[in-house]
Amino acid sequence: MYRFIRFAILLMGLLSASSSFAADAHLEPLTTADDLGPVVEQPIEFPHNRHAKDMGINCIYCHTYSRRGNVAGIPPMQKCIGCHQNIESVRETPRIKKLFEYWDAKKAIPWKKVHDLPDFVRFNHERHIKRFVFQQNRPVQEVCGACHGDVKEMTVARRQKSLAMGWCMSCHEKEHVVVAQGGMPIGTAAYWYAMKKPAVKADGTVVAKGPNDCSSCHY
Amino acid sequence: MIDNNFDRRDFLKVLGWGGAAVALTGCGNTSVQDGKETVVSYVEAAAYVAPGISTYFNSTCAQCEAGCSVTGRVREGRVLKLEGNADSVINRGKMCGLGQAGVQHHYNPDRVREPLLRNGDKGETITWEKAYELIAQKLNGVSGDNIDFMTGTISGHLKVLLSNYMDSLASKNHFVYEAISPAVQRAANLKSYGVEMPRFHINKAKVVLSFGADFLGAWVSPVHFSQQYAQFRKGSDGQRGVLVQVESKMTLTGANADRWLVVKPGTEGVLALGVINALGLAGLSLPAAVAAMVKPYDKERVSQETGVSTDHLVKLAAILKERSPSLVLLGSAAEGYAHGSQNAAAINLLNQVLGNVGKTIEAAASVPFPQVAPSLGNSAALRMVNNRLADGQTKVLFTYGVNPVFTAPKETNFAANMAKAGFKVAFAHYLDETALQADLVLPLDSALEDWGTHIAEYQPDGVQISIQQPLMEKLHANTRGMGDVLLTLIKKNRAAEYAAFEDYYAYVRTALLQNKRQFADVGVDDEVFWNDLLSAGLVNVAGTSNKLVAKLASEIKLPAAVDTDAKFPLRLIPSVTASLRDGRHANQPWLQESPDPLTTIVWDSWVEIHPKKAAELGIVEGDIVEVESKNGTVKAQAYLFNGIHPDAVSIPLGRGHDAMGRYAKGFGVNPFAILDRVFDDETGELAMHETLVKISKTGKRVIVVKDEGAAGGNQHGKKIAVNIASDQVELSGEA
Ligand code: SF4
Repeated sequence: MYRFIRFAILLMGLLSASSSFAADAHLEPLTTADDLGPVVEQPIEFPHNRHAKDMGINCIYCHTYSRRGNVAGIPPMQKCIGCHQNIESVRETPRIKKLFEYWDAKKAIPWKKVHDLPDFVRFNHERHIKRFVFQQNRPVQEVCGACHGDVKEMTVARRQKSLAMGWCMSCHEKEHVVVAQGGMPIGTAAYWYAMKKPAVKADGTVVAKGPNDCSSCHY
Repeated sequence: MIDNNFDRRDFLKVLGWGGAAVALTGCGNTSVQDGKETVVSYVEAAAYVAPGISTYFNSTCAQCEAGCSVTGRVREGRVLKLEGNADSVINRGKMCGLGQAGVQHHYNPDRVREPLLRNGDKGETITWEKAYELIAQKLNGVSGDNIDFMTGTISGHLKVLLSNYMDSLASKNHFVYEAISPAVQRAANLKSYGVEMPRFHINKAKVVLSFGADFLGAWVSPVHFSQQYAQFRKGSDGQRGVLVQVESKMTLTGANADRWLVVKPGTEGVLALGVINALGLAGLSLPAAVAAMVKPYDKERVSQETGVSTDHLVKLAAILKERSPSLVLLGSAAEGYAHGSQNAAAINLLNQVLGNVGKTIEAAASVPFPQVAPSLGNSAALRMVNNRLADGQTKVLFTYGVNPVFTAPKETNFAANMAKAGFKVAFAHYLDETALQADLVLPLDSALEDWGTHIAEYQPDGVQISIQQPLMEKLHANTRGMGDVLLTLIKKNRAAEYAAFEDYYAYVRTALLQNKRQFADVGVDDEVFWNDLLSAGLVNVAGTSNKLVAKLASEIKLPAAVDTDAKFPLRLIPSVTASLRDGRHANQPWLQESPDPLTTIVWDSWVEIHPKKAAELGIVEGDIVEVESKNGTVKAQAYLFNGIHPDAVSIPLGRGHDAMGRYAKGFGVNPFAILDRVFDDETGELAMHETLVKISKTGKRVIVVKDEGAAGGNQHGKKIAVNIASDQVELSGEA
């Protein structure tokens, strides 16, 4: 009997704990009605349209890390200043004044993440940029836009695609057949979606659709 | 110690529900926080820096005195992981677990962050300016004779600065204290070979006979010796090296040995002389004086005194004679007695008669710049400081890199004596036991934030000067590098001489550049030289090579029998473990939670008892036993262990802090506290193994938290893993 009471108390405690957790869940919904990411307020309202459309600046000029590593990163502030110290015409506008305030104080701007992936997913920017921009010579804005949307029409960026695994697969299954070189190590683990065991063509090339192992992205 | 009657089945049921609740609310990408998390970009970034891509810098491990050179992986301005530097002759790309935990020294949440001044039993935050002022004020009018500086092992330019500072105070009282050091061995080596620390070539030996030298765990330069050991095991001329370990409590090295010989504590020297005698009888030619000296040590007597069977003794002599060269090593287990120096002399004599000197033992290169050569620590320094404190000779005491309040036996009354000094300054990373007794605590940069140069005592090839450089920005604004602090202090006395050095970095740089010719080719540009030096993380100089002088000991006095005491029938062996050593890093949780290699116990102390002795006393595993010496008691869980002499019990050192932060305080017990004050007759070193104890049950019992199964290594006769003695194996048919 005693045991049961103790058990019941435990259970009640737990239920109230989990329900209070549910009640606490005033987290913003992860997907919005139009399936775009939430509108994010940034410390400086960065006008992508001015830079990418009006000035026609290449995305990779600022987001230079995107072709060098896994993460695209946010450009270091010295990049902004490098140009803006010579652009007198906008020097006194509120946004640029704010930028120089940060710069003079040598304080990093606390940008908010617009594209966040769970910690168990590694998306490799370098691989995608190398392939589509440098190998296939496609326009940069089209390549970046495949995931990030039409950034040149935005001021502050907003997430345009769900970035969930199914969405990744929507390309990898259909569009971009990956032709791996002969000696590339191929896993033999279980495959999800259409990550089929790669086929070997008669001439020895291995044909795979997208990454062919869980650990390509989950490591 | 889990003390409740919570029903496990209820717990599992609830956990099941709990799991469900978590799973339900856990739907979706809860770790994705678009628009919530900040992404901090660089203000200015060096060209080689890219987010997500690591950069690597070389520096020096400061976790022990071996001076391994390390490579730190740094990403987004944070040091994440250390590895061994492949170019270092000391560690050749490897490092040990203790070294790995160095990042937890750096990120430790319990680091002191502000200068603290004592106000009653509280520490008040003050500024560095105020602290410097205060030191100047307190030193004013105090004679140099009354100023003591106590440090751990110290080398490189920090040592130069410190000795110049002491000089400027007209004080000669720099004491170098290490609670665990091979000081007895240094003295014995000096007598037998003419140098304190020769080079040992385990890899060139065909047999290694080690008297308690835990060279795979905590002895002198363990990472270096582990690699030599690997080569030794592969063997030369197709012969795999044979390791025989002689000790009273099994060490990690003992556990790896082909033959582990347990001896009565303290009789290592007797065994060594017995082996020499047996070698003579087996036909090895001995100098007449030696033959006469070892004559009384016939195998029956030696067997009776040491507990090693005559059979083993004869076999040991036979293998040593047959396989040459061999190497005999001597470790803390043989040194830790009142007659430790005699034990050491006997063991070195064995090396000499075997002809190993010059083959597997060679002179190390001596450091070409004596002012940066390491000042080596010993425990005699503690005794001196303690006596000075007790007599009121010390008015101002500085401590750096030592924690004597923790490591001094309680009987020395160190804490009370320390209180007699008028002003005590602790340079510290944490509020450890000693810092808590100080009047002024000055917070230091971590080893991964500071500059420095280090020269290790053990130099395997030439002399390696290891460079220490910051792997990342300082975590806390108000910590300072020890070198910078000393420089500021010395500038108060010798402003003109040191004006040129803005900081310690400038000092080290200038000093190394001045000696550029020693390290680099003629004509190398300063900037190029300096950058190469920093990227290499070390520089090697040939050093001058000495020849060993072999001097045979003319007389070795070993006690007929090691004392016992009816009241305290057991001997306490305070064991040195590879990760905790003297306890200075006990606040690094990785070290607390990595299982002891022999017992697999974590986060707690234990008392090792031989199963036979335990049966006699009615003790089973997990019994909380009280270990009582003349000087106090400690209580800890019993662990039954076959690798210990039945007349000894062992407690590992390093735990039992009552300060030093959340991961150290309150875990385990401190055997340093109950040690008897017995000293080595010749060197005055604390004889760590001379404490006699008795043990009794307290009536409490706990479940020992350990990785091994409930039965431990004991199969209870069930033949789970069947084994056979190696001399029973018939190998002639094998390919
Ligand atoms: S042996 Fe000492 S110096 Fe070398 S890695 Fe281990 S702790 Fe560091």
